Amino acid sequence: MTEHIVKSYEGQLQELTNIIVKMGGLAESQFSNSMIALLKRDQDLADKVIGKDFLMNEFDIKVENSVINLIALRQPMGIDLRETVSSMRISSELERIGDLSKNIAKRVRFMNFDLPSDIIASFKRASDVVQKNLKDVLDSYSRRTKDLAFRVWNSDLEVDDLVNKAMDEAMVFMKKDKKNLEISTQFLFAAKHIERIGDHVTNISENIYFLVTGDQIKGTRSKKRSTEE
Amino acid sequence: MRFILEINLRGSGRDMNEKIKISTRNLSVFYGPKQALFDINLDLVENKVTALIGPSGCGKSTFIRCLNRMNDVIDLCKVEGSIKVDGKEINTKNTDVNLIRERIGMVFQKPNPFPKSIYDNVAYGPRIHGLAENQEILNTIVENSLKKAALWNEVKDRLNQPGTGLSGGQQQRLCIARAISINPEVILMDEPCSALDPIATAKIEELIDELKKSYTIVIVTHSMSQAARVSQNTGFFHLGKLIEFNLTEKIFKNPDNKMTQDYITGRFG
Amino acid sequence: MSKVEKIKLLKKRYKAERRFKFYGILSVCLAILFLFILIINIFSKGSGAFFKTEILLNIKFDEKKLGLNINSSDKEIQEANFEEILKDALLVLAPKVPELKQAELIDMVSIDAALEVKKFYFYNKGVLNKIAEVPLTLSDDLDQVYKGNFPRDIPEERRRFSDFQLKIFDDQISKNKIVYKFNWSFLTNADSREPELAGVASSLAGSFFTILVCLILSFPIGILAAIYLEEFAPKNKITEIIEVNVNNLAAVPSIVFGLLGLGVFLNYFYLPRSTPLVGGMVLALMTLPRIIIPCRAALKAVPPSIREGALALGASKVQTVMHNVVPLAMPGTLSGTIIGLSQALGETAPLLLIGMIAFINVVPATPIDPSAVLPVQVYLWSESAERGFVEKTSATIIILIFFLIIMNSFAIYLRNKFERKWS
Repeated sequence: MTEHIVKSYEGQLQELTNIIVKMGGLAESQFSNSMIALLKRDQDLADKVIGKDFLMNEFDIKVENSVINLIALRQPMGIDLRETVSSMRISSELERIGDLSKNIAKRVRFMNFDLPSDIIASFKRASDVVQKNLKDVLDSYSRRTKDLAFRVWNSDLEVDDLVNKAMDEAMVFMKKDKKNLEISTQFLFAAKHIERIGDHVTNISENIYFLVTGDQIKGTRSKKRSTEE
Repeated sequence: MRFILEINLRGSGRDMNEKIKISTRNLSVFYGPKQALFDINLDLVENKVTALIGPSGCGKSTFIRCLNRMNDVIDLCKVEGSIKVDGKEINTKNTDVNLIRERIGMVFQKPNPFPKSIYDNVAYGPRIHGLAENQEILNTIVENSLKKAALWNEVKDRLNQPGTGLSGGQQQRLCIARAISINPEVILMDEPCSALDPIATAKIEELIDELKKSYTIVIVTHSMSQAARVSQNTGFFHLGKLIEFNLTEKIFKNPDNKMTQDYITGRFG
Repeated sequence: MSKVEKIKLLKKRYKAERRFKFYGILSVCLAILFLFILIINIFSKGSGAFFKTEILLNIKFDEKKLGLNINSSDKEIQEANFEEILKDALLVLAPKVPELKQAELIDMVSIDAALEVKKFYFYNKGVLNKIAEVPLTLSDDLDQVYKGNFPRDIPEERRRFSDFQLKIFDDQISKNKIVYKFNWSFLTNADSREPELAGVASSLAGSFFTILVCLILSFPIGILAAIYLEEFAPKNKITEIIEVNVNNLAAVPSIVFGLLGLGVFLNYFYLPRSTPLVGGMVLALMTLPRIIIPCRAALKAVPPSIREGALALGASKVQTVMHNVVPLAMPGTLSGTIIGLSQALGETAPLLLIGMIAFINVVPATPIDPSAVLPVQVYLWSESAERGFVEKTSATIIILIFFLIIMNSFAIYLRNKFERKWS
């Protein structure tokens, strides 16, 4: 893209993008670490995740400030306007992802024994898909491509299916023995968190689509969405 | 959800009930050997504000001066192509320019009240066109025009004082009152706020909003935010060509043309 | 650059500024000085012409010598001879002098003295057969003596007045019979060969008629030409040539216009020679470019936005120009016209060629009566030998300058009053 005539404006927009990229990287590691901590019952790692969450909030505040400054002082238009507005939205989505990762990490404390490996595996499958989606969506952000974002948006269904499957398995396990009740409940919560993170990833992909094309992704968020375009 | 307000901004999103007031086809303007406008095809919608933006010297002022044949004043200036007002061609030798200018009024960049009283400034147009049979009707016309231009309350006690004694913003509103005194169908505004402070500008913009109910307005402006604020349709000119013409929202959120994008975001090379 | 050098440079710059200011003030002072010298010179020389000396003479209005009676008609009075009673009264001043000296005695008063006596009688018919004290204009030589312009101590044969005349004159002064008063006749009399009688009335009237004719011709023609050229004429080679020539015309020496007037108006159209009509026509030719140029400048100075404003309202070209442009250009045009006319008022050369240099001793009543004009009068009198005409010359210049100042002030007044500030 052509550079702005005003260099400091260009710099400010670049700075905003940089924060989002950094924030995305942090969100990725927070989420993957929280999953590792959960599935391996690693309390130290979980504490680390919880301890790092404040960074996400700081990033979010930073983004919000620079967006407000940009709007107030530069009156961005066209692509710059979309850049600014979507930055703010993406940052709050990422911040939520951070919060949910922290919540997952908090569950580790209440896990008193290992789960059967098949449940672990199906949880891992679900979280892997979400992690990959998060990575893709962040890639598509830094590369400003809509195709990757569109793929992520369409794969939300897959995430839902995987999460439901994991939840079903956890429920079956819960019914087997009364002592399984507590740990399974934690897992059910964690499953719900994964699903929510998946939703936030989809939201980010919508924002990226808007950022790149200026249009909203067509169609409604039903289970039976078409795969046009 | 934010998708509720999903508006299809692409081309076909126009309201089919819109009436085209002025349409130009293949409009080209030459100043001597230099071509200033290249094949402009543009439709101005009735009772809408159309903003024309673009860098200096891009031909936007030349374009609106074609619409009321003000370019006739300039020697060497040649206007080719078709300009239709309500479907009737006006770019012909036989067209009476004075009648055209009665229907298509104009407000200029610098407030240019005549060095007469406020009253006479507004009464001048109706007088030369014989719109008022007696003094009473003329008084009414003057009062209504000044009211429409949102100036009446400020000047009603000093109608006999010279128009040049008013502040810049008031002078510009006086010029607008003068333009609407002969009840035109279209008002062309050539950077009407470029010499005004922000408050005076806001008053003119509010006035434009009000006036579009009765008139079709074309405004040339250098301020993109002004174009965004007052207009419904926006055209972007560059080097004498109409690069993009679209709904204002579309132009400022997501223009189709890269050049438009670069211009509105301040990336112009 | 070091700080010291910078300060040095700064000082140099300030010095240059002060020097420049000083030169400016010096040249202004010099200009004022020259003007001051000129004015002082003219006024000191000319102010005397506004005053004259008269002798109070006791005249016996003898019925028989005049051949009049109490019932005489005005016509009879006109025809009556007043020379004799005047001579008698003068001889009383120095009784029993030889014939030769008698002539000198009579020369002491102006040659029109008898007329003055007649005029006095005309208004005071009751003095018949009585003795009355009549003020009579002294000859210009004695007038000059009284004003101190003629030295008394040079040898008699080099003076224009004799010892005898001087003795009588001094005698009368000691008797308080000599009065010094405002010279109305300078303003009311026509030209004359006798300096004590000469006045500017004829040239004043001549100038008035000339300028009037000039104004009536040049103003409308000049304004219309300027408006057409500036507002309506297509911009092409022909108008360009006209424009250049109008500008050149303003620079043509005025005497050329005189030749033109001589060749065309007098020799071809046989218009009356030496008249304000022809003078005015010649001056109008000369003034035309001087009106057209400032008028065009004034029209050009009207911002185009005013024209566009009117045109955009659907006003026609003529309406635009007449309603909006010309009124704005009027102050500039008027002051340009007045300055052009005041230049015409001071013009001499072209008028000499069309014969306005003739000696005219009656006040013209119409523009087709022969007459002189003020600057030509100055020229005529400056050529005369009599000492009395020197002060008359300067006095005429004073009158001319007076009118020029009035006209120029009027131009400035118009400009200030009607000049509109448009932003």
